[in-house]
Amino acid sequence: MTQDDAFAADLLRGHTDTIVLGVLRRGDAYGFEIYKAIRDATGGDHEIKEATLYATYRRLEKDGLVESYWGDESQGGRRKYYRITDAGRAVFRGNVAAWTATRRIIDSLLDVKESQQ
Amino acid sequence: MNTDIHRLLDDAFQGIEMTPDAQDLKEEVRANLVARTDELEAAGVAPAEAARRAIAELGDVRALLEETDASPRPSADGYAALQQRHRVRPKPGFVVRAFVWSIAAVAGIAVAILGAAGVWPIPLGAQIGACGFAATALGLLVGDSLSQETTTNHPMPQNRAAGFFLATLLGAFGLGFVALVAFGSMPIWGIVFAALGIIASIILFAFLGATQTNRHKAWTRQIAAAEPPNRFEREPETAARFGIYTAVIWLVTFGVIAVLVFTVGWWWAPVAFLGGIVLMMLVLARMLFAPDKKS
Repeated sequence: MTQDDAFAADLLRGHTDTIVLGVLRRGDAYGFEIYKAIRDATGGDHEIKEATLYATYRRLEKDGLVESYWGDESQGGRRKYYRITDAGRAVFRGNVAAWTATRRIIDSLLDVKESQQ
Repeated sequence: MNTDIHRLLDDAFQGIEMTPDAQDLKEEVRANLVARTDELEAAGVAPAEAARRAIAELGDVRALLEETDASPRPSADGYAALQQRHRVRPKPGFVVRAFVWSIAAVAGIAVAILGAAGVWPIPLGAQIGACGFAATALGLLVGDSLSQETTTNHPMPQNRAAGFFLATLLGAFGLGFVALVAFGSMPIWGIVFAALGIIASIILFAFLGATQTNRHKAWTRQIAAAEPPNRFEREPETAARFGIYTAVIWLVTFGVIAVLVFTVGWWWAPVAFLGGIVLMMLVLARMLFAPDKKS
């Protein structure tokens, strides 16, 4: 993994909660679907580790941002589906707003440095 | 079907105490691993290799369980301190709007009543309009309040708040028609509109209530989890006894209401109703917060 990759992976990992909420906003999903949605979105370059995701689900559920329920698959283990709650939607909106604002700041700061070089 | 995965999963959970929590996690992981191995096999990986790779990607489950066990306990701060820290003040714009909606609702109701009672001779259409105006204002008050962030709750999403607006509007409008018919300013067929509005409102409220998800903030949930259980939770039989008492109180109350209506007149019915509520509250206080006899 190059320096750039590590930087990107770090940034991504810092927003795991919001990313998972964003995936669940499109509809209920179980662990592997969420994992796959993230992996596909990053083009398979940076994936968020599954263990990180499990920790995220547990934290989100404890905070009431998602709810879980078991599917009714008969083969290969029952899937645990996650559903975003109203609180989750509110937190997601707040985080997206914070991200947009922060990105603008960072963009402008980095551009300033670049132009000085 | 790939059976390696189940053996490898058992290995991964070896030596972990099988609490309900750990069991839950294991079942969740199992379904995800099966899905992942299916995907790998579809891509042409040999079954044994697919299972091995899926498990390897998983990482250490032990760390995961330990992490949640060591999750931060709810802080020792009291409710008041936490509430102070998470305090959210109402937005000034909302306060002004709520005031305006309330004034509009009161004005609409007043005009409708004056018209319906014949004090102020306005046509039936205007009376209905006033009812609709008041109902809209009430609906806006409800919808606007629900979409505000509070100290303990996240704001409700716009669509759901709009649903509550509509349900309130329909219900209040329906009640308005009931009042117009009761005052005699509207013929009896007006009750059809009342019934339509109220039934639609009940259905909508029931739907919204049934699909409601959590809106509490994390700190409120932690406080609630740390709360010692009340007597009804500790002694379900006491809760059941309270339920039976309540049923008896209300059956007797309705009996008394019926007797009052047929003897001294219907306007005495609320007295019996009030008595029922008072009695139920006294029983609740007595049973939920009874002095502990064991100590």
